[in-house]
Amino acid sequence: MEAGTVAVERERPLERAREFARGHPAQAALVVLGAIVIALVAAKGLHDVAQLALTGLSTGSIYALGAVGLTLVYGILKLTNFAHGDFLAFGAYMAYVVNVSWGLPLVLGIAVAMFMTALLGVVLEKGMWGPMRARRAGVLQLILMSIGLALVIRYGIQYFAGTELRTLDVNNTDTIKFLGLTLGRTQAIVILIGFVTLLGTGVMLRYSLLGKRMRALSDNLDLAETAGIDTSRVILWTWVFAGAFAGLAGVLYGATTQLQPEMGFELLLPIFAAVVLGGIGDAFGALAGGILLGVVIEWSTMFVDAGWKSAVGFVVLILVLVIRPQGIFGKARTL
Amino acid sequence: MTDVLPLAVSFEALTSMGFWLGVGVIAGAYTIFTLGLQLNVGFTGIYNFGQAGFMAVGAYSMAIFVTDTGINFWLALPLSMLITIAFGLIVGLPSLRLRADYFAIATIAASEAIRLTALNARDLTGGAQGIFGFGDSWESLQDTIEGWLMDLGWSDPDTLAPLFIVVWIVAIGLTFLLSRVQGTPWGRVLRAVREDEDAARALGKNAYSYKLQSLAISAALAAIAGFFLAINLAFVIPDEFGPTFTFVGYSMLVLGGLASYWGVAIGAIIFETLLEGLRFIDLPISEVKIAALRFIILGLILIGLMAFRPQGILGKREEMVLGD
Amino acid sequence: MTDPEGTAAAPAAPSGNGAKPIFEAQGVVKRFGGIRAVDGASMRVREGSITALIGPNGAGKTTFFNVITGFYRPDGGGATFEGRPVLGQTPYAIARRGMVRTFQITKALAAMPVIDNMMLAAPNQPGERLVNLIAHPREWRRRETEVHDQAMELLDVFDLSKLADTYAGHLSGGQRKLLELARALMTKPRFLLLDEPMAGINPTLGRRLLEHMQRLRTEAGVTFLFVEHDMEVVMGHSDRVVVMAQGRVIADGKPDEVRTDQAVIDAYLGGG
Repeated sequence: MEAGTVAVERERPLERAREFARGHPAQAALVVLGAIVIALVAAKGLHDVAQLALTGLSTGSIYALGAVGLTLVYGILKLTNFAHGDFLAFGAYMAYVVNVSWGLPLVLGIAVAMFMTALLGVVLEKGMWGPMRARRAGVLQLILMSIGLALVIRYGIQYFAGTELRTLDVNNTDTIKFLGLTLGRTQAIVILIGFVTLLGTGVMLRYSLLGKRMRALSDNLDLAETAGIDTSRVILWTWVFAGAFAGLAGVLYGATTQLQPEMGFELLLPIFAAVVLGGIGDAFGALAGGILLGVVIEWSTMFVDAGWKSAVGFVVLILVLVIRPQGIFGKARTL
Repeated sequence: MTDVLPLAVSFEALTSMGFWLGVGVIAGAYTIFTLGLQLNVGFTGIYNFGQAGFMAVGAYSMAIFVTDTGINFWLALPLSMLITIAFGLIVGLPSLRLRADYFAIATIAASEAIRLTALNARDLTGGAQGIFGFGDSWESLQDTIEGWLMDLGWSDPDTLAPLFIVVWIVAIGLTFLLSRVQGTPWGRVLRAVREDEDAARALGKNAYSYKLQSLAISAALAAIAGFFLAINLAFVIPDEFGPTFTFVGYSMLVLGGLASYWGVAIGAIIFETLLEGLRFIDLPISEVKIAALRFIILGLILIGLMAFRPQGILGKREEMVLGD
Repeated sequence: MTDPEGTAAAPAAPSGNGAKPIFEAQGVVKRFGGIRAVDGASMRVREGSITALIGPNGAGKTTFFNVITGFYRPDGGGATFEGRPVLGQTPYAIARRGMVRTFQITKALAAMPVIDNMMLAAPNQPGERLVNLIAHPREWRRRETEVHDQAMELLDVFDLSKLADTYAGHLSGGQRKLLELARALMTKPRFLLLDEPMAGINPTLGRRLLEHMQRLRTEAGVTFLFVEHDMEVVMGHSDRVVVMAQGRVIADGKPDEVRTDQAVIDAYLGGG
């Protein structure tokens, strides 16, 4: 771009395409995704692509559930919660206590996990985040506090539960077969639960009064306050959702793999990637970002060793931050 | 410490010189590491959470140079620093245009990517086993210094004494250097960039360039810290360079006080003493639990500092960059 | 080494209302989402003039300001400063060329002393480059002393010299406004753009600021463009008035001409 004059009419098709992408990011993303799918199928065959996509939907649902909570909290409180991954771990271990230590059905474990993690979120809001906001704490202060919190939760888990790997009492061997594809029974349940929850959340955010209020706060907290909305209640509900989803995601993750104290931090970066991919602050974006990320990570195993899977998450994160930091659905900054 | 836990500390362990020299070495390495963080956070306003990754690049480069290519240790050091600076620029170029918290996320991601590479690129980095056997040149120097110590009257110098001395000479020297540079026009621009980037730009300063320089220098400091760490351990493994190292560094940073270079050493010494000192608690609980407890306390201290005394020990209220 | 972005071409002779434009904008466009905040704004600023940019709320004045000084990316149009293109350049490059802006909400670097604020602004300090700290220590130390003296002189003019060692954050609102102006002047600008310089300061201080501006124009040939709401200030102290409304320039002339312009009256009554 030459300094001095900026051409108003961009005739060249490349420029037109870029303009379109900027104005309609979701459609552009779909087009790109479609192109990638076609390329992958051509290279590796439909079966592999579809099979991995299915597995990716399972991990993607987990990322999406984690990402929605993280992005809701950020959207309303402008807090980048580095402890969010450990909320997932917390939920998983709560479910373990119920499901394995007490021998109760996993459904109960899920309920308890969601409840306890939501409670954790609320307690922290009342005891820590609320007071810090009142004191007008800065970005760095909040980041470091959330890191401290992450350490306390993670090592608290390690203190009580040790470092050995633990598994939930689930049936991980049964598989479902359809359309020539195989899917673990647990994974199928994860996808089901994930989608139902996310769908419900989407509906709630769009149509319910609470959802509308949450979106209002996310847009402009001060304005929402002056408009008479009881912001502290909305904030509490935000933490309830964020915590509950995190707990659920943690249990689902534990059910499909294993539990260990580091799982929180391991999940944090893909969840960040999902949030950034979808557009920070945008709940729908987090949903889409999570699922997309899960699928992309699984597809990557067609090309690289499984050990590098986490690296793919980072690559996505860095690419998004470099190419389009506001994510697919986020609003661009002016400069 | 609270009185809730029954404390029974082994006296021999507590007074062992070798032990405290070891603590001092690590504290010194952390000081150098955290001086970089201070330059970034306290004096430029960029939240670099990838410092451990840069440290890994420095340490691994040195180890690979010495063991794989047979380059002289003393030459490998500056070469490794150059490579680390290059990494700093590679990470910084795309990510320094981002907002503060995005930059933090990007740098953590970069740091983890580096650690993952160290873990997986077995041919280059030895994977989880890492690299060892690069310490010969240091050992000759170590013997020489021991000789000097004996000449000075210390009949049986501890093996760690030379390393301790060298680390702290470097740490204090760098602290002094950075403090001096801070008072120069370059340092002034850096402070302005921290204070208000747009104001700095409106006065003709290329804020982006200064942030890059700050990151590059910090990466070099991380490399130096990495050298000392590697020498101390006699090997380099991926686990040593995880994000926890960066988090501990930040704890030392805020304890000592933001925007105070001398505070870094103080924060490092206090923190490391605390962290290692906690090893000695002779509680009727397992090793794993004690290890976990140390980090729980670390996390609580971090939270407590941010909540109640964000300016730390030597930080000034006016210089507090924490509120924005 | 001098900046590659280049200090300006031949310095023009400082005069009163010179006919030559020091700054020209053509069809500048800035969009936010679907809204065209600046919708094809064109204007000329004559060298050595004091020009006021006015308009009802939402007219796009500050956005235009931010676009031409490089703080917003433009979406269309062109602009030149001293004959060379300037639209789309980075803010620091524009400032280095001699086109300097202040901010409506003052950006005093609060955690730095007043004197540091001032010395920061001085151009051509080799000590600001890392290499020179080691390579040319004498040059930068000498320049520091020069800059320090210049800064103290300028602070004196604004009656701020006693506050030289105070943290800028401890200054009153009015003092910060003065510091903002003094600091901008340290850069030796040829074109100074002031964003609502009178906002939030008492009339006496305001009058002093205007006196300074007049003096700078006469003695040093500095051109001024300021965004302002206070009509008295505008009408009484500017050579030319540019009126914006709905993202466009709707009038550009002498204060008396503009005051009676029908389009201007409509804009204020209709939209303001």
